Amino acid sequence: MSDAAMDRPDTAAVRMVAVIRFFWTPIVLSLFALAVVVIVWASGDGVIARTITDALIRTVLVIGLYIFIGNSGVLAFGHIAFMLIGGYAAAWFTMSPFKKSFALDLPPILANNEFPLFPSAIVAGLLPALVAAIVGIPIMRLSGIAASIATFAVLAIFYTVYSNWDSWTFGASTLVGIPIYVNMWIALAWAVFAMFVAYIYQQTKFGLALRATREDPVAARAAGINISAQRLIAFVVSAFFMGIAGVLQAHFLGSLIVNGFWLGITFLSLAMLIIGGQRSLTGAVVGVTVVSTIVELLRQVEAGVEVGGITFELPGGFQELGLAVLMIVILIYRPAGIMGGLEVPWPFGGNRRVLAGGFTIVRAERAPAGE
Amino acid sequence: MAQTALQSSVANTPDDKLEAFDISVDFEGLTAIDNVTIAMKNKEIFGLIGPNGAGKTTLVNVLTGFQKPTQGRVMLGGKDITGWAPHKLGRGGLARTFQAVRLFRDLPVVENLEVAAVGTGLGRREASKRALDILKWMDFEEKAFDQADTLPYGEERRVGIGRALAMSPRFVLLDEPAAGLSDAECDDLMSVISRVPDRFECGVLLIEHNMRVIMGVCHRIHVIDSGKTIAEGTPDEIQANPEVIRAYLGSKSEESRA
Amino acid sequence: MLQTIIQNAVDAISLGSLFALTALGIGLIFGVMRLINFAHGDFIMVGAYALIVPSAADAAMMFIGAWPAPILVISIISVLIVLALASERVAFRPLRTADPSILLITSFALSFFLQNLVLMVYSGRPKGIPLWPNLIQPVLVGDIRIPQLHIITISVTLGLLALLVLFLKRTAIGIQMRAASEDFQMAQLLGVRGNRVIAVAFAISGLLAAVVALLFVAQTGTLSYKMGVPLVLFAFVATVVGGMGSLSGAVLGGFVVGIASVVFQAILPADMRLNDDAWVFGLILLILLVRPTGLVAVKALQERV
Repeated sequence: MSDAAMDRPDTAAVRMVAVIRFFWTPIVLSLFALAVVVIVWASGDGVIARTITDALIRTVLVIGLYIFIGNSGVLAFGHIAFMLIGGYAAAWFTMSPFKKSFALDLPPILANNEFPLFPSAIVAGLLPALVAAIVGIPIMRLSGIAASIATFAVLAIFYTVYSNWDSWTFGASTLVGIPIYVNMWIALAWAVFAMFVAYIYQQTKFGLALRATREDPVAARAAGINISAQRLIAFVVSAFFMGIAGVLQAHFLGSLIVNGFWLGITFLSLAMLIIGGQRSLTGAVVGVTVVSTIVELLRQVEAGVEVGGITFELPGGFQELGLAVLMIVILIYRPAGIMGGLEVPWPFGGNRRVLAGGFTIVRAERAPAGE
Repeated sequence: MAQTALQSSVANTPDDKLEAFDISVDFEGLTAIDNVTIAMKNKEIFGLIGPNGAGKTTLVNVLTGFQKPTQGRVMLGGKDITGWAPHKLGRGGLARTFQAVRLFRDLPVVENLEVAAVGTGLGRREASKRALDILKWMDFEEKAFDQADTLPYGEERRVGIGRALAMSPRFVLLDEPAAGLSDAECDDLMSVISRVPDRFECGVLLIEHNMRVIMGVCHRIHVIDSGKTIAEGTPDEIQANPEVIRAYLGSKSEESRA
Repeated sequence: MLQTIIQNAVDAISLGSLFALTALGIGLIFGVMRLINFAHGDFIMVGAYALIVPSAADAAMMFIGAWPAPILVISIISVLIVLALASERVAFRPLRTADPSILLITSFALSFFLQNLVLMVYSGRPKGIPLWPNLIQPVLVGDIRIPQLHIITISVTLGLLALLVLFLKRTAIGIQMRAASEDFQMAQLLGVRGNRVIAVAFAISGLLAAVVALLFVAQTGTLSYKMGVPLVLFAFVATVVGGMGSLSGAVLGGFVVGIASVVFQAILPADMRLNDDAWVFGLILLILLVRPTGLVAVKALQERV
């Protein structure tokens, strides 16, 4: 792929540079996340550590969202259903029978058992993927906007059912007693895993085919691409990571409430993806970083800021307000988001812009020729 | 699965045929195509002409699966493909371009071709190689990595053709590739089209209004007016055919340049 | 037995009317702009909150709500028309040519904005307000007791629908709106002023939201900053079920959803009844799958190859 590389001997070093260059985006993003975690860990501040863990869990969620929305261009709204399914599944598998007996009335295989944490997490992530595969088969045949609405209908159905399914979810009340083990490092590990999987997916022919359907579905069909099949693949992979985000959330807070998987988090995750730039992995990560930072700042101001002896306090709801305004501003003035569809640039030469899945050569602007 | 279904011993051989029998297409009382039959062979450049609104694009849509005929059958290599979905036909060797070009705008030029190659079942690496080969053959390598939406109009159309060719088709259907091109660009186009059958071992169906291009490259021409066939023959026969002349002189089309 | 059926029927039609009016508000804007205005429910909510004095206190004090009925109605309608027009100008006009999904997300953001604005000013505690409490009194029609409010809701709805039909068929601007719904660019080429048509659509939408706000508050007697959400969700369902892009579809969808909701409530066994919302969404899913364009298909939305 690189012109310069063809002149140099094909040594191990050259090949290693090529590999690093290929994986540059997820490598840089992972190192960035690692740096943040290391700094916070070294500082010993527990409160910030929790904030970072929360942000990393959101990273897994938004990357999951990106895998589907970024590549397919279908703005699905119902993705939080998968987080909901994953989270409660984690509770069903890992809570001790003793704690389960207080709030839930599960079938004996779940009520009397407590399964190991890691396998439970995986299965709890696969469950929403399975649901996605099933509902996805009919839904992915629909046109863009109808598919968006249909995914929302799925979320609404799960939300309503889980809110009333007292014996399995404790209904509208908070379910407590879930084992807590997710700290910054575990969240980081999953975030890094999500980054690499998302990146590899977008480099494969499946990612490429799906992006073509985003650009022009008619031409994509003529080019031999089965739109529903490609969308389904991304939908299922994306559901897995959103399920994992739910699992991580459950094992981070130690508690779950169905109401936490509804419009608020739907809006927040979409805002993060759109503000960062929905067409690239870097956009997803940048979006989480920027929005989390802003939300955190606003939260501090909401809690009260001392300026020269006077405390400024903002009423509750200001964070969301600020976020809503920011989102509208970005949608109007920079709809491609902060990253605008670009990945992390390769700093060592070449006038190339790195796009999701490939690159383009940047040329100087010239006057349009002829027509 | 679709690939093996359409793979046959006749694919890309001189025996390969694309045929449409007694095709009719009705839209809520309007008959767009009325009992049209065409048959084209491997390595043939087959022209489809007619005044505006005659039904040419509708016919191409029927051949490529975007439109179900109200009546009639489409056969590829002897196999009935009527009503098959566009992506299955694409995989099976029927490629097409669009009047509106429809490039994948956000993707680089080479990926536009890669996608089509991937659509026929290649892995990404082979698809990339095939894409670059075709761009080289079309003298378009230097812009391979430019983003598709930065291209001027004439070059866009070239990429559209390249994309269809990247599918290693048995038959490629070009829908008005010369529209809006200058004379010099038309010459380039004619040169490309005439080299396609040998290079890709396929047949070419060419819809065009530009008579210079049609008469210049086609082996046979089929003329449609108001959805009905009015003539078929070699360029010389068609040019001399009184029905054809009447259809064109009597129609609103001013784009025929003889 | 017959009594229950008729009472349920009136319930269903009354609820259906509210959904129909809300769906119509959404459908009008979708028609001219391909925008599904998620914030419509929050327009309704703002209209309701305009009735009380802005304050975070627990007990709500009537502000506009204390004025004589005709002035009250006109004021609330004016407030929402202004809000709708302002939203169009600030948030949606710059996005006129964007993808429908982007427009939807923007309306989502606007919805969030309005909800949190109200939350900040009025606090999150639901407040009880007595608006025209005498309307809940039932009237006796033969043997059947029907709350006056249901009758008013249904008549107002029918009246508004009739007016709207007249408006769209007989007035110049109404005809222009219909043309713009079919093909916006073509309409512009023919001399229709895009900005004006869209502004009118938003204004009417604001009016419809105001009417729904008043009827809804009269019925439930409570205000909450999230009260718009179930309304817009169900109206959403109604628009999709009825066929996006079709106004008659929106109205039809509204009644279908209202009736379905009451029917599910009435026939489902008690323990499933809480999930009736889920059934309604299940219905939308089913309809989307079987007939993606909705009950009344609109040609203008189909893509040409």
